[in-house]
Amino acid sequence: MATNVSAVYIQVVDDVISKIRDEFINFGAGESALAELQAMWEMKMMQAGAISGNIERPAPQKNVAPTPVHDLNVPYEGPIEEYETPTADMLFPPTPIQTPLPGTDSGMYNIPTGPSDYAPSPIADIRNSLDLKTGRPSPYMQPPSPWMNQRPLGVDVNVAYVDGRQETDRGSSQQAMTQNVVNQLHKGSPKHGQGSGTSKVIPDRGRPALLPQSDGVQDDYDDLFPFQGVATEDYNTPGDHVELRTPTPAVATPKPNKDEAEDDEPSLNEDDDDDDELDDDQDDDEPNTQHLVLALFDKVTRTKSRWKCTLKDGIMHLNNRDILFNKANGEFEF
Amino acid sequence: MATFELYRRSSIGMCLTETLDEMVSTGALSPELAIQVLMQFDRSMTEALETQVKSKVTIKGHLHTYRFCDNVWTFILQDATFKSDEFNDQARRVKIVACDSKLLSQ
Repeated sequence: MATNVSAVYIQVVDDVISKIRDEFINFGAGESALAELQAMWEMKMMQAGAISGNIERPAPQKNVAPTPVHDLNVPYEGPIEEYETPTADMLFPPTPIQTPLPGTDSGMYNIPTGPSDYAPSPIADIRNSLDLKTGRPSPYMQPPSPWMNQRPLGVDVNVAYVDGRQETDRGSSQQAMTQNVVNQLHKGSPKHGQGSGTSKVIPDRGRPALLPQSDGVQDDYDDLFPFQGVATEDYNTPGDHVELRTPTPAVATPKPNKDEAEDDEPSLNEDDDDDDELDDDQDDDEPNTQHLVLALFDKVTRTKSRWKCTLKDGIMHLNNRDILFNKANGEFEF
Repeated sequence: MATFELYRRSSIGMCLTETLDEMVSTGALSPELAIQVLMQFDRSMTEALETQVKSKVTIKGHLHTYRFCDNVWTFILQDATFKSDEFNDQARRVKIVACDSKLLSQ
């Protein structure tokens, strides 16, 4: 029964804690570290569902609350970066680089509100200054891109375009820029062209009002821009060529067009023996759990294709729950 | 005294390992002490399974893979059924890892 498993686990925890108490004292780690260990261990187990919330123990000093960690006088420094409300801890984080994921966090302040909307917030200021300190692309870099769109196209848009492609959290400005590029393409304005040798969008500027091909490398691609540096192209996969010459909003998702790869060898069929079937089945049933049995074996025998084994003292993790057994008999057909 | 580190892969073992990793990385524990904790866990878990658990299970299924290496059997079963007095379970794919019980008593 599940509660039985829970009780066994609690007993194991208590046993371990009591037996290493001496070691902790010998090592000088102290009782508080031991208590922290126990609390964190139990909390994780509860989160994993290994034990139920009500922990009944013989020792009276432990209370029955499901989060015993709060009751201990332990400076449990949890994941501070998860707190969103401004507290003293936020403004003066204990560790200098205790900032959350750069993409999501700076995205919060950057994209929809415009460059100056988040200025009044003290948190944003602190974060911005922290960003500058840590050298991440500061949110203040965002303002240049909107006005860059309105400038006459040329080298600058090429640069901005490259930037927009490389920084994933500039979604809106990137789209604006690509739209602009497409407009220029259709107008066929020949002003720009080979100004900057670095942009990957250049090839299409020179061709007036001709939609770029997507079924292969442009036939006279090399003739148009002989100085382009074939070396750089060698590092691009064929999929990138397709991406470069179709500067539509869809460019953000490069089409993995394997058909146009000219130098591809015939498929090696190297994936035929992979456990694709097993993996797919696994996704259907158990997205996160792998069924696992850990045990000791007494005997394993085989007769033709019929295997038999006797196991003992095992932990089974099936369908997201734990089951313990003293003995098990297995009969498998190979 | 040697221990089977097998049970560290269970839920309770993984929780303990994660907890110890966090405490070692924050410096609350020394690595040697963490290893001592894990070894004690191995012993306690083994003993608990021997003494406190009294259930018997039957496992049947199609054997997809078998491996015996370093005195450890690893089976991968497909469409396995687990039966006992208290429950009936099924799993499309299950891995069984079993260490030699005789090694402990040596």
